[in-house]
Amino acid sequence: MGTIWAIGKREFASFFNSPVAYLAICLFLFAIGAMFFWWEDFIDQGQTTMRTFFEWVPWLFIFLLPAISMRLVAEEKRTGSFEMLITMPIRDAELLLGKLLGASLFLVVTLVLTLAYPLVINQYGSLDLGPVLGGYIGLFFVGLAFLSLGLLASTWTKNQIVAFLLGAVLCAFFFGLHKFVGVFSPGLRDTVAVLSLSDHFETFAKGVIDTRGLIYCLSITILSVLIGTYSLESRRWSR
Amino acid sequence: MTGAPGSISIQKGDGAVTRATGSPMIEVLDLRKFYGDFEALKGISFTVGKGEIVGFLGPNGAGKTTTMKILTGFISATSGRFAVAGHDGFQESLELRRAIGYLPENAPMYPDMGVVEYLEFVAEIRKIPSSKRRARIFKMVELVGLGPMIRKNIGELSKGYRQRVGLAQAMIHEPPVLILDEPTSGLDPNQIVEIRRLIKDLGREHTIILSTHNLPEVQATCSRMIIISGGRKVADGTADQLEREGRQSSRFVLTARLPAGSEPYQVRTQLGALAGVTSAEEVGHGDGAHRFTISTSGSETELTESIFALAVREGWALRELRRDVVDLEQIFHRLTQY
Repeated sequence: MGTIWAIGKREFASFFNSPVAYLAICLFLFAIGAMFFWWEDFIDQGQTTMRTFFEWVPWLFIFLLPAISMRLVAEEKRTGSFEMLITMPIRDAELLLGKLLGASLFLVVTLVLTLAYPLVINQYGSLDLGPVLGGYIGLFFVGLAFLSLGLLASTWTKNQIVAFLLGAVLCAFFFGLHKFVGVFSPGLRDTVAVLSLSDHFETFAKGVIDTRGLIYCLSITILSVLIGTYSLESRRWSR
Repeated sequence: MTGAPGSISIQKGDGAVTRATGSPMIEVLDLRKFYGDFEALKGISFTVGKGEIVGFLGPNGAGKTTTMKILTGFISATSGRFAVAGHDGFQESLELRRAIGYLPENAPMYPDMGVVEYLEFVAEIRKIPSSKRRARIFKMVELVGLGPMIRKNIGELSKGYRQRVGLAQAMIHEPPVLILDEPTSGLDPNQIVEIRRLIKDLGREHTIILSTHNLPEVQATCSRMIIISGGRKVADGTADQLEREGRQSSRFVLTARLPAGSEPYQVRTQLGALAGVTSAEEVGHGDGAHRFTISTSGSETELTESIFALAVREGWALRELRRDVVDLEQIFHRLTQY
């Protein structure tokens, strides 16, 4: 546990030394701000609700979070500091969980920065706190799943751009799975919907904390860390 | 931390000497490594005893770094076995890594971190209790002479100071075994002297393997050297032993003015006929004299006498007769040619 915390702390601190992280978070906040101010329907639905906000943020996450996670392992491999890290007494799973912890702390900071919107909306009519809380919890878990997919992509390459693109593709795939499948085979759509993050997220956005949704997000996270551990270990295999 | 001695039995391979003083801290048996189809290590075996400072010597691409990367658990060997401080390299990788302090080539570290911040991170990972962390970090800073740099980021440091941070992080948990890949590369001559002195001091308490392609470095710091070339161990012993072994086939140089009627080819034949001489060559002439080199197989010291006797008998006016001193440089050169 101490090791995971040490790695997470270091990783979190290093985000604030990285222009990429600042840039990504600025673009993200700008995108939300732009929607908020210029797209009338975004809030003006005759009621004070954050529904549209919660529907759109996950789509932005598909680009934001892989940009945050792309460097986690890829950058260490490129600069060689990976050798230093991997020859310390750290289990491969601890290494990945530590990295994920650091990135999740950064996600929390990002989410806290968006709290301005519910606060502003609340000025124009009392906002129902339940759905907002549910929505934020949902965003955190979807974000966690996205970060872990991005982390997995980052273990496969030395190149951050490749890690970003792979991560974004993985996130988009899991998020909109049933939508893609629906295009090709409408019959399968509902079956696959269970495997699609966005379908689960719709219930979060309504303010319902759906355990199935949480479990699904956590499953993607755990699976990504497991596969990532496997990819790190493969380095130690012969030939 | 010392494991059962002799948990791996080391065979003496290719007639090279394997000797370890005290209990073995590092045991390597028939290590092989393929990178794709390229065989980087072709079966290396050696032991390092407690308190030894062993220099890993060899030309670039000989397999030094590969061996170190395997010992520290960064990459796996294709076959063979190894143990550090009694921990098997395949079964107990985590315990093995705990027992080692490692400085990889070029000391790759996080450039955006401060010197102290980075050492704190390593101390935390190395599970040094938080109450002792500060004291240990400042002990290391003092030991490697990082004092003036502690407020800087690693990315702002010169190569020499970065190397010192690398050394500090390798020793921070006071490991029984230190593995240092080219610890003095990129340092200026003053820094090299300092780092060598530091390594020598450390050798009193730690077992150290360091790699280099610089021969004087090994002579200055190491109690023993292992020379590898083309993925094989070609020599193993102290500098004195290697020099003695190298001398076993030595060379004489003879310069003489020959009497009228005596031809150089006759001299060559006469020298070649002496017992213990493998070949004799004329290597030059000038100023009325001819110069020959005489290669011998054994370490016949009395050969000087028989050459002298021959010269007297044949009436050669001797200007020079000496044994060509074979130094480590030449031994190294001869061993690593292939």
